[in-house]
Amino acid sequence: MSKFLLKRLIMMLLTMLCASFLVFAVCEFTPGSVARKSLGPFATQQQVDILTEKLKANDPLLVRYGRWLGVLVGAIPDPLQDPSTGLNFKDPRGAQYFGNFGYSTLNKLPVNDVIWNRLGNTAILAGLAFLLIVPLSIIFGILSGLKEGGVLDRTLSVICITFTSIPEFASGVFLVTLFVILWPILPGTSPLNSDGGWAVPYQFVLPVAVLVIYDFGYVARMIRVSMIGVMERPYIRTAVLKGMSTRRMVLGHALRNAMIAPFTVLLLQINFLISGVVVTELVFAYPGFGRLILDASLFGDIATLEAATLITVAVAVVTQLLGDLGYMLLDPRIRVR
Amino acid sequence: MDKNQHSYIPTLIKELSDGSINRRDFLRKSTLLGLSAAAAYSLAGVAQPFNSAKADDMPKGGNLRIGMRCMEIKDPHLADFAEKSNVIRQVCEYLTFTDRNNITHPYLLEKWDVSDDLKTWTLHVRKGVKWRKGGKTLTADDVVWNLKRVSDPKVGSSVLGLFTGYLVQEYDGGEKDEKGNPKKSSKLWSDNAIEKVDDYTVRLNCYAPQIAVPEHLYHYPMFILDPADNGSFGPDANGTGPFEMTEYTIGKGAKYKARTDYWGTGPYLSTFEFVDLGDNPGAGIAAMASKQVDGLSEADAVQISSMKNFPHVAVFKVETTQTVVARMHPDVEQFKDRRVRQAMRFAIDREKVIQTSLLGAGTPAEDHHVAPSHPEYATLPKYPRDIEKAKKLLADAGYPNGFEFDMVTRPDPIWELNTAQVLAEQFKDIGVKINIKSLPSAQYWEVWTSAPFSLTAWGHRPLAIMTLSLAYRSNAAWNESHYANPEFDQLLTRAEGILDPKERSKVIEKIELIMQDDGPIVQPFWRVFSTVMDKKVKGFELHPSQYIFAHQYAISA
Repeated sequence: MSKFLLKRLIMMLLTMLCASFLVFAVCEFTPGSVARKSLGPFATQQQVDILTEKLKANDPLLVRYGRWLGVLVGAIPDPLQDPSTGLNFKDPRGAQYFGNFGYSTLNKLPVNDVIWNRLGNTAILAGLAFLLIVPLSIIFGILSGLKEGGVLDRTLSVICITFTSIPEFASGVFLVTLFVILWPILPGTSPLNSDGGWAVPYQFVLPVAVLVIYDFGYVARMIRVSMIGVMERPYIRTAVLKGMSTRRMVLGHALRNAMIAPFTVLLLQINFLISGVVVTELVFAYPGFGRLILDASLFGDIATLEAATLITVAVAVVTQLLGDLGYMLLDPRIRVR
Repeated sequence: MDKNQHSYIPTLIKELSDGSINRRDFLRKSTLLGLSAAAAYSLAGVAQPFNSAKADDMPKGGNLRIGMRCMEIKDPHLADFAEKSNVIRQVCEYLTFTDRNNITHPYLLEKWDVSDDLKTWTLHVRKGVKWRKGGKTLTADDVVWNLKRVSDPKVGSSVLGLFTGYLVQEYDGGEKDEKGNPKKSSKLWSDNAIEKVDDYTVRLNCYAPQIAVPEHLYHYPMFILDPADNGSFGPDANGTGPFEMTEYTIGKGAKYKARTDYWGTGPYLSTFEFVDLGDNPGAGIAAMASKQVDGLSEADAVQISSMKNFPHVAVFKVETTQTVVARMHPDVEQFKDRRVRQAMRFAIDREKVIQTSLLGAGTPAEDHHVAPSHPEYATLPKYPRDIEKAKKLLADAGYPNGFEFDMVTRPDPIWELNTAQVLAEQFKDIGVKINIKSLPSAQYWEVWTSAPFSLTAWGHRPLAIMTLSLAYRSNAAWNESHYANPEFDQLLTRAEGILDPKERSKVIEKIELIMQDDGPIVQPFWRVFSTVMDKKVKGFELHPSQYIFAHQYAISA
């Protein structure tokens, strides 16, 4: 078991290394220098040249990547904080420490000061949505999978497919029109403070609803297919013939087997919810991680993008690991070799 | 009359009384030349805006929230968009103030005097302006430090570009760039260029005449900062302004607390805040609908049309000299012939562009970048869309079947991309196929001066000579259109030295004709700028530069 975990940990580090290098290289191909972006369109070329020199942005790609990596693991101090650059960049944690993501050129703050708070906000939003998506999709999936083609299956399928096919921005606008403008019982944006006269819990209702509406139907469809497959298995037929109650049959025999495949899909929703909520965050002006990544990528803020990449890759790998561990619990036949 | 007053002021007063200049021209000219705004307004017989008498009628206290993007702020002298300067403006202040009628008043200055040759500007610093921290008052030393700081190329302030030409000189540093062109450096033209006379007097000794100095001092990064802060900005920053910033979170918002010892009138609010609603225009509408904000810093035509029916919302509009220009590099093959550039101008239907891309919120422009609201504007005969003429011009220039070309633009704000699309459709009618290449804003600003054909937004400027000399003078730093015409340059230099707006307008007329005949731009419209505020917000006036002055606003319970 420990060997398995160690192997996974090494794989995770390698994946993160590759991903971070790819982001670095891709940023290289987007037009526009960091110095020009930082100074804006109205700075003269001379001013841009001076800043480029200060940022050492003309070094070869590998040198810059190496420097970024060195700063990240705390091997070298962040060169941007050197007072001689005159950039006035200060990190309260010091210039050299493990996990130093460097300086965000967009926000002009240490990435660590920007990113964790945003990630926390998105984690709350995603967590609430996930808490609703799991039971809703399981219930919808099981009910429609029990009797394929029945009235209940047809009805639930229509609901699932309709909801999933409405894009988030459309359902967002629709819900805002309904509950904010026509029947004003909810706030239209979610800045996560109560200054606007709406308590924070109310501000979660619409964004969570948009995410759940978009996502639960898809997972429910996955569970339905899996459930149908299980219901056709001989041991279920035997149980039915023995006269077992539907309730006992579903909860005791079918459910565990039916959940094996959808389990992965459910865990994948965590990835989606962490890095894919950008549309919902935009619609509701939610100060989250998705909007931060969007701003950083439009601006070409490499330090923030790198940190975001590492975080999303880590979330993906950890959920994958959880998925594998979950399989072992659900299916005793799977054994670690 | 004050014996320090500029020798031209009696002439202006005479011109005003015999009707040869209008009141707006009189106000602008006389205040620029150092006549106090109060005197100018009373001579012109109009009420002064921001009259302190209204202070007694304003409701006191309360919190006001305005929706606006809150991006990085580190160094106020580097602020490059109105939103960033709005965050700083509540804490730090300017030496001068240009009001919504384009008239410039003293602000942190008590007044200024200018020599007859327009080369020596004496700035009198207002006495009794207290910094929030440290118990200091504002002095000439503070002002000199700020003016010198923005003139230092290492700082990176865009004020440098404005000062170049009369305070700052470019020189050849001896280095060459990759293309072998000499690298230009810049510095103050003389050690004495910015001179402290006494504790409350600063003198600018310029090497060339410049009429727009007071308006340059109101350029949005030209804040007066506490030298002790050394250009840093945050909740702790010192300032002479009406508010103290208590909180600033990028992407979320800014919060302010009113100062009790502010030197000017106001603030009436006890607290004020900006709320970041992101880039999605729907969020602004939703936040106004659920009263999470009391107003927006800007609302486009689409947002206005969906909000104008909310009973609690008031709509504000102001005509501006904000515009977009589709500019062609005369040094590329296709645009070399001036007949091609003319044909592009004859190809467009301005009214249709305004209807489609601005939903009507604009007025037609005439391809010379001088707005009717500019004091030096000269009226030219209208010329309509003329497809036949445009086709003939193209054929004469050697393109009987038109040509294909890429146009660089950006998707945000959306009206810019919409304009590009409408223009591309209309160019099709004369056989010119335009492929739109849309880049994210940050990347667009990297190529804005190098792309051979692009669509660029230009901000509001109170004087036409400011824009013309920034954008079309040969080799100017922001000459994105690579336009170089000695005759144009010579006329522009002449115009900059003419005080009388009527005389100047005669020169500008020639410049306007050159731009229509030979110029590098297709300019479809002037934008009308608009926003919304809750009806309970008092004292709000929409400024064409999108500036927010929270100390003038109040909120009724």
